[in-house]
Amino acid sequence: MIRLYHIHKTYGQRDALHDVNLHVQKGDFVYVTGPSGAGKTTLLKMLYGAVTPTSGKLLVGGVDASKLSPKQLPFLRRNLGVVFQDFKLIPNRTVGDNVGLALEVLGMPREDISRRARAVLNTVGLRGREDAYPLDLSGGEQQRVAVARAIVNDPAILLADEPTGNLDGAMAVEVMEILLAVNLRGTTVMVATHDTGLMNRFPNRKLRFESGRLVSS
Amino acid sequence: MQSTSSHVLRRSIRSLWENLSLNGMVAGVIAAALLLAGAYLQVLINLDRMMGTWDRDVHISAYFYSDVPEDRRFSIKDDLAKLQEVENILYISEGEAGAYLVDKVPDVKPILDEFGPEVLPASLEITLRSAFTTPTEIEAFVDRIQSFDFEEIDYGQEWVQRFESFVSLIQTLGVVIGLLIATAAIFLVANTMHLVVYARRSELETMKLVGATFAFVSSPFLLEGAILGMVGASIATLGMLALHNLLLLRLETYLQLAIGNESLVFLPIGAIVALFLIGMLLGMAGCLTAVRRFWKAAS
Repeated sequence: MIRLYHIHKTYGQRDALHDVNLHVQKGDFVYVTGPSGAGKTTLLKMLYGAVTPTSGKLLVGGVDASKLSPKQLPFLRRNLGVVFQDFKLIPNRTVGDNVGLALEVLGMPREDISRRARAVLNTVGLRGREDAYPLDLSGGEQQRVAVARAIVNDPAILLADEPTGNLDGAMAVEVMEILLAVNLRGTTVMVATHDTGLMNRFPNRKLRFESGRLVSS
Repeated sequence: MQSTSSHVLRRSIRSLWENLSLNGMVAGVIAAALLLAGAYLQVLINLDRMMGTWDRDVHISAYFYSDVPEDRRFSIKDDLAKLQEVENILYISEGEAGAYLVDKVPDVKPILDEFGPEVLPASLEITLRSAFTTPTEIEAFVDRIQSFDFEEIDYGQEWVQRFESFVSLIQTLGVVIGLLIATAAIFLVANTMHLVVYARRSELETMKLVGATFAFVSSPFLLEGAILGMVGASIATLGMLALHNLLLLRLETYLQLAIGNESLVFLPIGAIVALFLIGMLLGMAGCLTAVRRFWKAAS
């Protein structure tokens, strides 16, 4: 589902990723871990096309993501779900609208969007909150809205950047359980985190990065 | 298809409503640009009509030598009347010339009284058909009749030609000024729209990240630009109408000599439609520029 061949990414003189080779199978659940600045976020950004590799080949869902034109990029992103580190919720749109955004860009009818958004909010434990605004929600609830938006389009791949970084223990567990449930439905999940406690509680394959190098997988 | 158009409409209306003051500025900039363009167009149309009036009334005064016998004068008149260019021809004898001039310019009566009767030469007053009233045709006609026994032929040629050059200069300047106004308007609209786009940057960035295409994101802005263009054009049209009624019509009295019995006209419907189209294009171009600038910068 995800393949990287000799991926390099440099910012000026600094290597953000150095000769990374990896393969993630369809339906896998993998952690991308390592200290701050190790290249976790760069890797995830590269997978959803926000960053292009300096060299190397990158296949996402069979598509060579390193060679996509700006016009092709949206069609890759429609097959992905991304939980951003800073949530990227739109403050002046309701929770329902935020979740429905990933469907709206597909041109889905509004009624279907509302129905799907309600169902997904129900899945992440936010039943009846579709008319609330993000700033009225707690950090944990906002995180779950971000997860709901990432999974509402049934993506083949779910990328989550520090999805539990802002949450307390119980809330972090809840979010992890949601991600695991999504994985059980067949979605390939890649979670960037440095929360070892959580990785030990929910053991899965770990891709460990240090200074841009993949040191263990 | 229906959901896409409803998306475009919904987002446009929401953006117009949420950024009312900024959108008001955009409409104002478009209105100012169109007001300038429209006022220029109105001046040009009226100048053109003025020239058309003069063309229609092209009048040639051909003055006989004093020693040309009267029967020869009538024979020349008959010959000229047969020419296809001539619509009307009138013989004015030395005796009638004074009264004829006083009729046209009453103020000269005291001067004529002082010089006595028959001080003015006999003349043929020739009116040309409207199909032969361009400066070149008039000049050709005058050249043809030079060979008759005329001492002087007067047709205000120099003045008309100067005025035509002036109008042509205004037309050329208008194209240059129009282009400058359009560029400045697009620049101003784009920069103001950039503020609207900036106010919605988090929403647009998120839309891009979840797979929105440029067309999907930009189409509501295009509609918004078109609506703002129409609002701007409406304001400009009303402004010009007010200007026309309050100012130009009062000027008519002073311009009577130049325009004769004609009155100053407002823009024809075609020009107003063109202003609306230009307004919509300005709004759309400005919005598109602003969204494109944002789109390239967003990840």
